Amino acid sequence: MTEQFSRRAVLLQIGAAGITATIPGAALSQNRYAEFDGRPWFFLTVDEARFLAAFTDVLIPEDEYPSASQAGVVDFIDLQLAGPFGQGDGLYMQGPFDKGTPQQGYQSRLTPAPLIRQAIAALDAQGTPLVDMDEAGREDLVARLSEGDVDLGDLDAKTVFGELFALTNEGYFADPVYGGNKDYAGWRMVGFPGAHAYYTDFIDKNVPYPAPPRGVAHIPGTSRSGSVYTAGPRPAKQEG
Amino acid sequence: MARTLPKTDVVIVGGGWTGLAAAIELCNEGQRCVVLERGGYRHDATSFAGPEEHDELRYARRKGHMIDTPTKTLSFRNSSDQTALPMRRLGSFLPGKGLGGAGIHWNGQSWRPLPSDLQMRSHYTERYGEQVLDGLNVQDWGVTYDELEPHLDFWEKVAGIGGATGNLNGEIQKGGNPFEGPRSNPYPNPPMKPSPPLQLFRDAAADMGYHPFQMPSANMTAEYENPYGAKLHGCTYCGFCERFGCGYYAKADPIICIYDRVKDHENFTLRLNTHVLRVEKSGDGKTATGVTYLDKNGQEVFQPADVVCMNAYALWNVHLMLVSGLGQPYDPATGQGVVGRNYAYQTMAGVSVFFEDEVWSNPFMGAGALGMSMDDFNGDNFDHTGLGFVGGGYISANQTNGRPINYQPVPEGTPKWGREWKKAVRENYLHHVGIGVHGSSMAVPGNYLDLDPTYTDAYGQPLLRMTFNFPENDRKMAKHVLGKTEEIARNMAHVKSISTSNNAEAGNDYSIVPYQTTHNTGGAVMGTDPATSVANRYGQMWDHHNVFVFGACLFPQNLGYNPTGPLMGLAYWTLDHLKREYLKDPRPLMDA
Repeated sequence: MTEQFSRRAVLLQIGAAGITATIPGAALSQNRYAEFDGRPWFFLTVDEARFLAAFTDVLIPEDEYPSASQAGVVDFIDLQLAGPFGQGDGLYMQGPFDKGTPQQGYQSRLTPAPLIRQAIAALDAQGTPLVDMDEAGREDLVARLSEGDVDLGDLDAKTVFGELFALTNEGYFADPVYGGNKDYAGWRMVGFPGAHAYYTDFIDKNVPYPAPPRGVAHIPGTSRSGSVYTAGPRPAKQEG
Repeated sequence: MARTLPKTDVVIVGGGWTGLAAAIELCNEGQRCVVLERGGYRHDATSFAGPEEHDELRYARRKGHMIDTPTKTLSFRNSSDQTALPMRRLGSFLPGKGLGGAGIHWNGQSWRPLPSDLQMRSHYTERYGEQVLDGLNVQDWGVTYDELEPHLDFWEKVAGIGGATGNLNGEIQKGGNPFEGPRSNPYPNPPMKPSPPLQLFRDAAADMGYHPFQMPSANMTAEYENPYGAKLHGCTYCGFCERFGCGYYAKADPIICIYDRVKDHENFTLRLNTHVLRVEKSGDGKTATGVTYLDKNGQEVFQPADVVCMNAYALWNVHLMLVSGLGQPYDPATGQGVVGRNYAYQTMAGVSVFFEDEVWSNPFMGAGALGMSMDDFNGDNFDHTGLGFVGGGYISANQTNGRPINYQPVPEGTPKWGREWKKAVRENYLHHVGIGVHGSSMAVPGNYLDLDPTYTDAYGQPLLRMTFNFPENDRKMAKHVLGKTEEIARNMAHVKSISTSNNAEAGNDYSIVPYQTTHNTGGAVMGTDPATSVANRYGQMWDHHNVFVFGACLFPQNLGYNPTGPLMGLAYWTLDHLKREYLKDPRPLMDA
């Protein structure tokens, strides 16, 4: 990629027949994807990023509040897969591997990053790529994946869905410092004020508490959070 | 070849609540104590400060304060005809790692057992006949409520528990839990403030003739100084208790309540980043000689000691016994053996309550032990005749947090994603409360812990293997108490709709995946008969009299309560006998 790279341009190409066609022009011109726009993806390929934008927007579509991809969820997933989570932090990876029962949980021989990479390739090899489907087609594929009703070879479809679902949810609602929940989109939607900490005088009162959201890297005097870049690395806390 | 260190009086495996309690009590008794802690140093002031601590992704989702499974996990299966597979990622329960252990990231819900809970087999047998316990390994604890009471009382002072006293020296007090055993003192602190949903639950339950009261809380309700001299501050209801440390000195934890008060004691030594591999047995067959551990550089070290205290998390205490060959391992085929026997958990169910818009629950305001509870269907507080089960649970409307990744209440029938889901989340987030059933868990012969034949941990030792499913008894119990909870929810004012969930619903196998509760109990239980217990009624191992066992692994079956209060009462009971009777004349404190 050269300096002409634009995440915004990539993600806006998620299908003329699909979701972009339903988005009003005004929304397109907002500063979607602007935060990381000039940066190449850390982990994702351009095609994977488009797939994830289309996929996560089925889970969290646009309405009065931004869609998943509009709120930076693809940026979030990119960072998560490139980082410790995607590479298997907190995951016991000793074999032998066996499918097991649903009650036994994650049993993939892959950590989340290669799992999702291989799953996207397998899904798009099945026929029409997700980004080229219309909205109904995308919804149908997502629903079938969640039911395990898609053959992904060695990969367990429900596990793949579980990882994508969790990452989408996290990207929309985690502190903006991780690249998603852009401009506190998710927190504004539900009314979560973030890292405030003093409610002693309010806890027993039946009244609204309409405080503007404030994250761990909030920029004072604004309604915004610093990103992973403007905030610098997360402080290295001493842990066990 | 392990390097051998000079002998110490006491070696303590684990630097959490019970390990640090043992350290301070025994150091003050003139015993030189070495505490071996698997994890690293951390402190409330420097490790848990806001706003950085208020990071749901890092701590609640990526489990920043918990054990890391690549180093230490277990394998799991529902029944012994399945192949156990490793718990590759944390889920159903969250053991801690680092100074303070799981006591750092607990909610702070502190209970006492009921008097009848501690004599469960004899109590039920007397009231209903022994047949109600058919098929269950239900046992008496070997210690009575009256014996434990002074120690429960002391624990509540150490942790500054705030609550409404229900039974003071036999006199029932208004507003408290009338079912609790007699207490010698009121709670050291007043109860927490109830949020609007808790007030609605309280009013509905009271109208129906039940006995609601504010849940006993280790989230401070006032400025407080504990008996060791630790100073704590009032809780601000920030909604970041469970899975988080408290940087405000507002949640009792082992670091601020105990460690800070013992760390400079001349008898106290803490060795961090040390992993205990085994307890070493003596040639006399009656004692242990100390423990072998890996130091922070990965070198094997033998620490000789006169007394070994096992203060690891319940599951890891059992694991350490199994890999050390302490006690007779349980064999489910014959029912013989004791180590790993009577593993139990907690049976969780709940009602989700959706309010009309005029009720503002504001779930992001909350505290780990902010709850309005009732004990009318716990233990044997209700007549079990003809019900077909024993045990029960407390019912509690809780407002612990509104952290938005995990807290997304939507009414029944809402799709799991998409536009309708998105709309339902934002319409209900500020107008919802959960009412939990915190149910007991009975020990049965088919639920147990042993060593896995295939998988190993980072140190090459076999993983602990858990075989567990919900016993039929507990499924019936959960259904019954959940039904009562649903009736109360329907009687609450301003309720739009309700929905229920029950982990132990008929046909649902226990799953290691969704978080339920970090209340793993049993596996090294206490009692009065060496054929059915690992430790005697003082927590002293039958087979090795200088090994003392602490924590929820001692519970013969699990209560309808959170385990921290009971297990800390047991810890101070054990330490009292260790100090007063054992040290001056080391011997078995009970005849086998």
